[in-house]
Amino acid sequence: MIRDAWRKVRSRGMPPAGEETGSMLPENLIWVFGTARTGSSWLSAIMGEIGGYSRWHEPLVGHLFGNLYYERAGHRSEDEHFILGGRYRYLWLDTLRRFVLDSAAARFPEVAAKEEGYLIIKEPQGSMGAPLLMEALPESRMILLVRDPRDVVASNLDAHKKGTWTADLMRKGGKEKPPSLAESRPDAFVRGQARRYVRDVGNAKKAYDAHRGLKVLVRYEDLRANTLESMKRIYSALEIPVEEAELARSVEKNAWENIPAEQKGEGKFHRKAKPGGWREDLTPEQAEIVEGVAGSLLRELYPVRSTA
Amino acid sequence: MSVFRYPTLSGVARRVRAVLGLETGDTRGALPEPTSADGHSAGGVAPENMIWIFGTGRTGSTWLAAMMEEPEGHDVWFEPRVGTVFDPQRFQRHGGKHFILASQYKDVWLRSIRNFILDGANARFPELDGGYLAVKEPGGSVGAGLIMEALPESGMVLLIRDPRDVVASWLDATRKGGWQTRRRGEGGRRAESLAETNPNAFVRRHAYAYLQHVGSARRAYEAHEGRKVVVRYEDLRADTLGTMKRMYGELDVPVGEAQLAKAVEKHSWENIPEEEKGQGKFYRKATPEAWREDLTRRQVKTVERITAPLLEEFYPKGPAEQQG
Repeated sequence: MIRDAWRKVRSRGMPPAGEETGSMLPENLIWVFGTARTGSSWLSAIMGEIGGYSRWHEPLVGHLFGNLYYERAGHRSEDEHFILGGRYRYLWLDTLRRFVLDSAAARFPEVAAKEEGYLIIKEPQGSMGAPLLMEALPESRMILLVRDPRDVVASNLDAHKKGTWTADLMRKGGKEKPPSLAESRPDAFVRGQARRYVRDVGNAKKAYDAHRGLKVLVRYEDLRANTLESMKRIYSALEIPVEEAELARSVEKNAWENIPAEQKGEGKFHRKAKPGGWREDLTPEQAEIVEGVAGSLLRELYPVRSTA
Repeated sequence: MSVFRYPTLSGVARRVRAVLGLETGDTRGALPEPTSADGHSAGGVAPENMIWIFGTGRTGSTWLAAMMEEPEGHDVWFEPRVGTVFDPQRFQRHGGKHFILASQYKDVWLRSIRNFILDGANARFPELDGGYLAVKEPGGSVGAGLIMEALPESGMVLLIRDPRDVVASWLDATRKGGWQTRRRGEGGRRAESLAETNPNAFVRRHAYAYLQHVGSARRAYEAHEGRKVVVRYEDLRADTLGTMKRMYGELDVPVGEAQLAKAVEKHSWENIPEEEKGQGKFYRKATPEAWREDLTRRQVKTVERITAPLLEEFYPKGPAEQQG
């Protein structure tokens, strides 16, 4: 009924409701979806270095809404009383839209103030809600950043072992990292991470396929093999002007080779950056677990490698 | 670059209501200012006419909501689960300024939560002009604190039931053939399996869930400076009409006694057909302290240990062992 009435309103030639002056322009948002450990920090660092860009580091708004919609109350989508129910989809998508735009404008007034500014939203861990976010913000640009699930799982397996960077991160927040399955039951941990990959990248891919606006799919492996060219392709696909020299400088500054050696290695945030490293990191059984759980996405995103 | 600005959909909804000849409700008032100068929204659901029911499942919230729906001009929003979206415990480790619910930007996102709820309420209950809306939200109690902070004018009911009876009720509902198991299908089979194969673990899990849900609701109740009332299921069972009158009195909601008596009578336990009541059914026993028959001694001790702070506050008789 709401949708029909909206059509009536539009057909009477009424102008669309404007958004408040000075608010964030949705088309200036660039969402980076995928999952954790796909190189999203690196990619967003390269983009964030360039003049006119700001970076929103993991707002988790996609997780906030996606978790309820897809997991906790997925069975209630047709229930009229459910806050994210299908009948009122257009209404709550608008709320989600305002939620994001208002929050972005409050945090990044420098971007909201001008039409040329861009806000890169690094949201790999909110990718579960990517379909909702992109539906709510159809003018926004989207980067789907993917990486071989076996490497993603291997990276997470390393990260969640005792005494690694994730424990340091928790300690900074005043908490001790509880014992992880990565230590006690690594195969179960691998299975759980593979499922998480399917949930995150699967939903991000759905959002990507449905999104009619500007978008680009980037593979971590291509970014590693030829960073500058991959970056140029991203800017071109998203129709964002960029000075090549400035881009090259940012690529160079954030290159793996320029990270100090003591900040790299096992148990550290910057670990290997080596596509195919899973062959050394996972047992054959663990690789098989990942291929079993994430096989469909693996074949879709890595059609050649998956048959190797 | 395109400068097309997408229409806001609440704007759309407002126009839609105008097109349909319905009253409009502006829900974009800044917090904590009311949506209009006189403190009332122009139509639909006014935030001060919302009554939130928090607690946890199996505390009699369906029964209470059914009675609250009866008086003329009253309606019930049945488990929107909005509180689940804004469960702060899920994001405890994300305390940074970039997190969408970062404390530095609370004024911004609290307004968003407010709009989210009021827009949802107005869309669903546009005819409730000046009436009251009870929001049955036991399952969203984890977000009670943020909801009540976003809607300080709303009333709040903290609905409590002895945690031992709550856990016993869940155990019954989730066993093989129980109503919850039948309703949930695949998901329910997993829960059923735990209730059947490891009932002690099931009891422990639900005791923690009680602590989390009721604990969150309790903290929200404490912080809420508006109208509020604690209702114990046991009191509601013992003297339904008296408890309902007290509840509406505390909430400052005018309800005629005759109307209330009618609602109480209509939804009384005695008026539920016999075949709809009993073990494994949604309407099970409605007998306070039935946990003495339903739980093992070990299970009782588990629930008492986990929920001790709440049990001591609301049921101060002491643990079962001391009661003889």
